[in-house]
Amino acid sequence: MTAVVALPSARRPLTAWRWVATRLAGAVFVLWAVATLTFFSIRLIPGDPAEAILGGPGSRATPEALAQVREQYGFNQPLFVQYLNEIGRLARGDFGTSYALKAPVTTVILEGAGNTLILAAVSLAVAWLIAIGLAVWATRGGRVSRAIATGLEIVSAAVPNFWLATIFILIFSIGLHWLPPVSAPGIPGLVLPVLTLAIPLAGFLGQVMRESLLNALDAPFTLSARARGESETGVTLKHALRHAALPGISLSGWAFGSLISGAVVVETVFARPGLGRSLLNAVLIRDIPVVIGVVMVVALVYIVVTLLTDLADRIADPRLRNP
Amino acid sequence: MTLTADPATVEQSTAERTHRVSRRRMRLRPAELVSGIVLLFLLVAAVAPQLLTFYDPLAIQPSDAFRAPSLLHWFGTDESGRDVYTRVIYGARSSLLIGVFATIIGLGLALILGAIAGLGSRPVDFAVNRLLEVLFAFPGLLLALLFITIFGVGVVTSTIAVGLATAPGYARIIRTQIISTRRSGYVEAATILGRSRRAVFGRNILPNVAWPLLALATLGIGQAIVWASALSFLGLGAVPPAAEWGAMLSAGRTYMTNAWWLTFFPGIFVVLSAAAATVLGHSIQRRNREL
Amino acid sequence: MARKSLPIAAVAVSALLLLSACASDPSGSASASATPKPGGTLTYATGDDEPPCLDPQNRGNVPQALLASQYLEELFYQDADGNIDPWLAKSYTVAPDGLSVDIVVADNVTFSDGTPLDANAVKVNIERVLDPATQSTTGRLALAKVTGVDVIDPTTARINLSQPDSALLESLSQVWLPIESPTALARPLADNCLSPVGTGPFTVQSWVKQDSVTLVKNPDYTTPPPGAAHTGAAYLDTIVWKFIPDATARFAALQSGQVDVIDTLQPENAVAAQSDPSLAVQIASRPGDPVAIELNSGRAPFNDEKVREAFIDSADVDSALQSVYLGTVERAKSVLSSSTRYSVDNANYSYDPDKANQLLDEAGWTTKNSDGIRTKDGTPLTVVIPIAATVPLAQAVYEQIQATAKTVGFDVQLQPKDTAAWWTQNYNWDYDAIGIYYTKNSADVLRITYDSAGNNAATVGAYHSNNTHLADPTFDSLVEQAAATTDDVTRADLYKQAQQIIVDGYYTLPIYDQQTRLGLRSDVEGFRFLPSLSMPTFYDTWLNR
Repeated sequence: MTAVVALPSARRPLTAWRWVATRLAGAVFVLWAVATLTFFSIRLIPGDPAEAILGGPGSRATPEALAQVREQYGFNQPLFVQYLNEIGRLARGDFGTSYALKAPVTTVILEGAGNTLILAAVSLAVAWLIAIGLAVWATRGGRVSRAIATGLEIVSAAVPNFWLATIFILIFSIGLHWLPPVSAPGIPGLVLPVLTLAIPLAGFLGQVMRESLLNALDAPFTLSARARGESETGVTLKHALRHAALPGISLSGWAFGSLISGAVVVETVFARPGLGRSLLNAVLIRDIPVVIGVVMVVALVYIVVTLLTDLADRIADPRLRNP
Repeated sequence: MTLTADPATVEQSTAERTHRVSRRRMRLRPAELVSGIVLLFLLVAAVAPQLLTFYDPLAIQPSDAFRAPSLLHWFGTDESGRDVYTRVIYGARSSLLIGVFATIIGLGLALILGAIAGLGSRPVDFAVNRLLEVLFAFPGLLLALLFITIFGVGVVTSTIAVGLATAPGYARIIRTQIISTRRSGYVEAATILGRSRRAVFGRNILPNVAWPLLALATLGIGQAIVWASALSFLGLGAVPPAAEWGAMLSAGRTYMTNAWWLTFFPGIFVVLSAAAATVLGHSIQRRNREL
Repeated sequence: MARKSLPIAAVAVSALLLLSACASDPSGSASASATPKPGGTLTYATGDDEPPCLDPQNRGNVPQALLASQYLEELFYQDADGNIDPWLAKSYTVAPDGLSVDIVVADNVTFSDGTPLDANAVKVNIERVLDPATQSTTGRLALAKVTGVDVIDPTTARINLSQPDSALLESLSQVWLPIESPTALARPLADNCLSPVGTGPFTVQSWVKQDSVTLVKNPDYTTPPPGAAHTGAAYLDTIVWKFIPDATARFAALQSGQVDVIDTLQPENAVAAQSDPSLAVQIASRPGDPVAIELNSGRAPFNDEKVREAFIDSADVDSALQSVYLGTVERAKSVLSSSTRYSVDNANYSYDPDKANQLLDEAGWTTKNSDGIRTKDGTPLTVVIPIAATVPLAQAVYEQIQATAKTVGFDVQLQPKDTAAWWTQNYNWDYDAIGIYYTKNSADVLRITYDSAGNNAATVGAYHSNNTHLADPTFDSLVEQAAATTDDVTRADLYKQAQQIIVDGYYTLPIYDQQTRLGLRSDVEGFRFLPSLSMPTFYDTWLNR
């Protein structure tokens, strides 16, 4: 799998400095493009942003009040001028004020970002654990365990997460009284949302991992490790898994993005405050500054995660390192 | 919600040809047989649902609301007394259509982007890559959400939305696939032999990309069905009273404690169809690798 | 001259028979046997939207009203029979010409920030609601006839009117017109939205967006409403008001004891809660227009009265309510909610497909296309209904109406919309029928939602409070006269005639009374509704645990 922003190293070896510079330029470009795309697409949505400012749809605002708001926010200027103003503000790090919540977008994001990032990060980690566990079990066990593991992976990747969430609530909250059904402080409140996000993802990672784990177990380097007298478990854990992790690590950037999408659903069902829920609400009530702000933050996190996975790739597979 | 099919599996199918080929692995596995039967059943349901049920999916019978599964109503009845089994059967058409068309849209866009990137000059590749980068940085669901809020709620918009949201993932896989094929010995040989670019693409590259693409498509259909059901959950999917699995799932969810069958059966069908499509996709990949 | 001066103690008891039949709650307010235990935290989970502003003078919707009833109070209190009692006002005097009302504020009342309540506070609050910058909607519509407020003396404020307004006192007992501290109101709008300051039993402590609002006890509370079971500070120390939009998760949280009270209780959950000894159900009907499907008479096909009647005849509402709501709601029989004073049960519409067929034949919709849809001059008989989650009418009810209407040849097209798109469609009159309701504690709601002025306000792309496009001078004059008279019998008669016009013209299909539907843990004692809008109050509430 190729690095994401840098040119593939096979084509042209880069020095560390050029690598950093390319990365930085790429990141700025992506942020700019994401902001632009969001700005124009949300302005295509039918509905008056002035309405959103005056308490949202159905606010029964008077025409005078609407006119005043249009003037104040510059909605009567040409769209391109509004766009330039918006980009200018964003470039200065000013995300503006939420129409609906009447609070700075930065505050809205900071209140939600922590929750969502923790949720996504823990889910990713749990998904990895489940996937590795299944993959190892499947390769080490017999045909039956392999078949079961494959089945589990395929089925869990096919489960709609809002359905899974409801089933978990029925079983673990209503039936067994083990875990709180809605967001609560501390670890118990995190268990069900994390499992809801992690299980389908684990199915995916597991499928990817096992293919390469099987290949790796037959690869020359594992054969030579066996020849050196290392135990089978040692071979699996030390050599083969490291190799098998590669495609999975590369996938983590993508997986993180899919977790953010999943967070929209999970945060709604479990009533967790977070970016996903903010984003959904903001789109539905046309709270443009919040939409742009959240999208920018998600894009930024995506860039950082991809960077980290690229670094992890290089560490896991020495062949990718630059000469 | 998970995005497109896993990119890495497909890459590996041609990049690392396994040396453990055996006759045994070419035989039809039980899982493949089961998936085949499931998909065949769904296909019949989609094409000729009236062969599988006597009821009308839209016929209400309020006095028969919330009947538990029985011989008369195999999957029970819903809050309007409609037969859930019938609705699930009729739902197969719209769900499969969403799955297939969303995947076609996604793959079609991806093929164009991927081919431009994979075959074009370095600046072109660079530009397309940046575009993919930007699309990747967008949460897929947001892309779908924005599209639907702009163009309105409905099956068509949600199908296109799912297609759009999955396209970047496919595009990246296709691009890698094309580049790795282009660099392989026989393509280089063909180029040296003086074949035109177009000929090389048509005769050497495309056939090599087509198989993994088919596998990818099959994997994607299942995921597109799951995706579309999530949009229905958010109230952005099929228009009532259409029988669509995602819409049935989310409508029945509030009754889950009293009438579990309202969500259980549509849910099982989402899982079954997505899983069956995945098994089929894997099986195509495997065969491709071993040919 | 109609002078009324009401002693505060005279209204200690107002029979709270609001609780509907299904509120067979053993704990409830019948907790006379147990001694209330002060202290503790009550967690309330709401399924309504998170308000954009905690001050209901800004905008003015039900989610705000539910929350603000805990920390804001009004000049008047309306009891379950619709009588007006004093609350933050001590007395009032209506001028002989009906064009002004003098209000004397209660003695020795201070807001929770220490500001004293005086006549100037009344002036500041009412004029603030009228100021467009406050962006008040419900409150401002209710005060449409108010021209200004004069301070006569430190305790007397005079409200000036352009026309006599018999609904004024009712309006002033809605939580959308609360009296807030003038000191606090001097802050910018956004600040006041975060922490409005009133005289209520609780005060706003903090608001974590998309999670919860925390309210704490007001230790210096002195103004319990009529009908309260005790005096002094509230029993509860804290109320945590959580936003849990998902109905399944919300009810699960109640069942597991994670929260103590939930609202927007789903019918199937109400049934489950009634059979669970650890849970109780409280349901109260809200005044105003019931949840109804209103027909747009401003365009074809519903500009034809026969077609409107046919549609109403073709809708099997009773069966739909029985099956979808499991018999937990009663069909509305009036264009006014049953808890609204002067409501008349004259909307006795019943399912009659034969009559519907006959009417459509008479109206000229005689041919049918291949789908069984009636046509006239090649135009199919299409009824567009946009639906949104903001109106509490289950999609299955729409689907059943769609199915029964189809049998007589209507092509009902249900269009799910997000809230913003739904309102846009409403603004543009781009619908044939629309499910909607309006909460107001007075039959004067008829003037807001059916008067022809409610159409005229409707420039394209703007809010219109009348959704039926009814424009009948007789009707307008009836509600106008009713608003101008204070005589009870005359008012009742005028409103009866007005309701008859709506019913006879088939402008609206009432479905069921909008309700405040609560599920409670059964150890939540001393709960009651404030009757004016059937909002919950937790002033007398304590936790028996």
